[in-house]
Amino acid sequence: MYRTEDVLATLGMVRSYKLDVRTVTMGLDLQPCASPDPKVLCDQIRARMIKYAGRLREVCKEVEARYGIPIVNRRLAVSPIASVAAGHSTEGILAVARTLDSVAEEIGVDLVGGFTALVQKGWTESDRRLIEALPEVLSTTQRVCSSVNVGTTAAGINMDAILRLGYILKDAAERTRSHDGFGCAKLVIFGNAPNDNPFMAGAFHGAGEPDCVINIGVSGPGVVKGAVEDLVANSKPTLGEIAEEIKSTAFRVTRVGELIGREVAARLGVPFGIVDLSLAPTPQVGDSVGEILQAMGVKRLGAPGTTAALALLNDAVKKGGSFASSSVGGLSGAFVAVSEDCALADAVERGDLTLAKLEAMTAVCSVGLDMIAVPGDTDAETLAALIADEVAIGVINHKTTAVRVIPVPGKKAGEMAVFGGLFGQTVILPIHAAGGSTEFVRHGGRIPAPLSSLRN
Amino acid sequence: MSTYIVTVTSADRVGIVHAVTGALRDQGGNIIELSQTVMRGYFTIILAVEFEKPQNVEKLRTVIAYQGREFELTVAVIEANPRDVVAPVKGERFILTVLGDDHPGNIHGIAGGLASRGVNIVDLHARTDGPRFSMVMEAFLPSDLSPLELKADLEQFGKGLGLEAFVQHENIFLATSEPGPVRVGQSRMTHPSIEGAAGVSH
Repeated sequence: MYRTEDVLATLGMVRSYKLDVRTVTMGLDLQPCASPDPKVLCDQIRARMIKYAGRLREVCKEVEARYGIPIVNRRLAVSPIASVAAGHSTEGILAVARTLDSVAEEIGVDLVGGFTALVQKGWTESDRRLIEALPEVLSTTQRVCSSVNVGTTAAGINMDAILRLGYILKDAAERTRSHDGFGCAKLVIFGNAPNDNPFMAGAFHGAGEPDCVINIGVSGPGVVKGAVEDLVANSKPTLGEIAEEIKSTAFRVTRVGELIGREVAARLGVPFGIVDLSLAPTPQVGDSVGEILQAMGVKRLGAPGTTAALALLNDAVKKGGSFASSSVGGLSGAFVAVSEDCALADAVERGDLTLAKLEAMTAVCSVGLDMIAVPGDTDAETLAALIADEVAIGVINHKTTAVRVIPVPGKKAGEMAVFGGLFGQTVILPIHAAGGSTEFVRHGGRIPAPLSSLRN
Repeated sequence: MSTYIVTVTSADRVGIVHAVTGALRDQGGNIIELSQTVMRGYFTIILAVEFEKPQNVEKLRTVIAYQGREFELTVAVIEANPRDVVAPVKGERFILTVLGDDHPGNIHGIAGGLASRGVNIVDLHARTDGPRFSMVMEAFLPSDLSPLELKADLEQFGKGLGLEAFVQHENIFLATSEPGPVRVGQSRMTHPSIEGAAGVSH
């Protein structure tokens, strides 16, 4: 017998607070598809995607109906294509991207990640070709997402790759000028990229993973916000009590994710991988990480206290999630994706939330400077320096950080950039002292791996 | 062994369970399952009791009522006949929740829809809170009935009555309210009142 209150509490998370499974992401190894013949390579990729993911959509619908939990996205994360398509010409790499795009559409997969190169220590010819192909891929495919890992704590930071990516971002933005540079929203530049991240645009199927695996990205900013609001309305909680409330809420959210993931995996006959605990916002009111901070008492996001509140939130989510499941992985933190979070976007528009403050916030949460619009005339070197700063935070602090920045062509700071759908919209942030670090990034080379002792 | 189903109702007072179970013990009965609740100040208990030898139903009823005479109990006793127990619906256990505006006939209409689909309700709680109505049921869905179909049925009934319906496999509630490992696949048990119910000594 179930207590009515327990049933209604779980149901309320879905009904009132927008709890959903943000993504069921199938990780799929494409290395066995490698062939020197580009046509054979593409044919084998298509066959393997259909073999493993052909039923993904159908199974997700079955599981969604069984548990009454919405599954918002079905995605694929494939092996880094720079490795799968090693030795191929640019045309060959582009053919692979087009194959990923068309097969994803054919089998009802929303996005496919893994058009990826891992260049933290250096880059191969294939890595370079893939990176050079990015503007074309990001501007001509619909579902292909890309990532480049440019630094790790073990290897340091590849500044040659970062500088080149500054130019690539400019090119990709220009080619998608009519959509405010939207092509850049499908490219994540990582430090310490996880191998099992289910969230886009940065998902790929990394080394050490099995042939095929189901990873889950839960959502739940609305649920956490609701819990904090109720607590604050009914008592005068200390911050410790707020943290406890967030922990117990994160437990429930994580359990939903693990259940859905295990069920989908069992029905497809593949292993279950991880639940990513990340609180992922959507542009809808009531589904925002920023609103949680506001419920905690930081009414103006960007004010002093924002970073501390975010640190409390991020840590409490991890603690609750880690107790709920032994299969926690991916990014597992709170996202501060500006255009995708209505409260953060509002704070940017009011001028409360600046680029510098966002950068500070990323030191205590995942994933980094995410979905940030900057002026279209920002030079490539400044973009590279922005990336280098953010990646350095991750590399030095042994955590993942990333940059998903959009230089909006033809628009200046203060103007609105509109990406639509889950990508939302945001006012363009100014970059202070832009152009002031050109010589630094032009040195190139590699920032050495940091010391692992003397950690203060 | 002979099994009897005993139900007792009265205004709620301290000591009723003690009186009823004492009467059963004195007659040599062993309680094998019991469920008790208090609703709006009224006590109700239902017990399944085993005896080594057949009992006189009327005598058993009278003994229980006498033992609890200070509580003015309403007692009913029937003999459990294995032929009365039909095979349970083969299927999985789902939690059905209906929420919305209170109207006379809500439960009747919902139960009718479930019966027509062969859904077996094994536990049901419903209540009103002012104009709001909520109903939570545990039910076995026949294996050929999808939760989506049943949800559509219930929503069709609730259309115009301001009722929302939810049909969710029980595992989602186990996952969110128990700290044990997440369970997928089949339900815990097919029918607790028939299979594997442990005896409760008193």
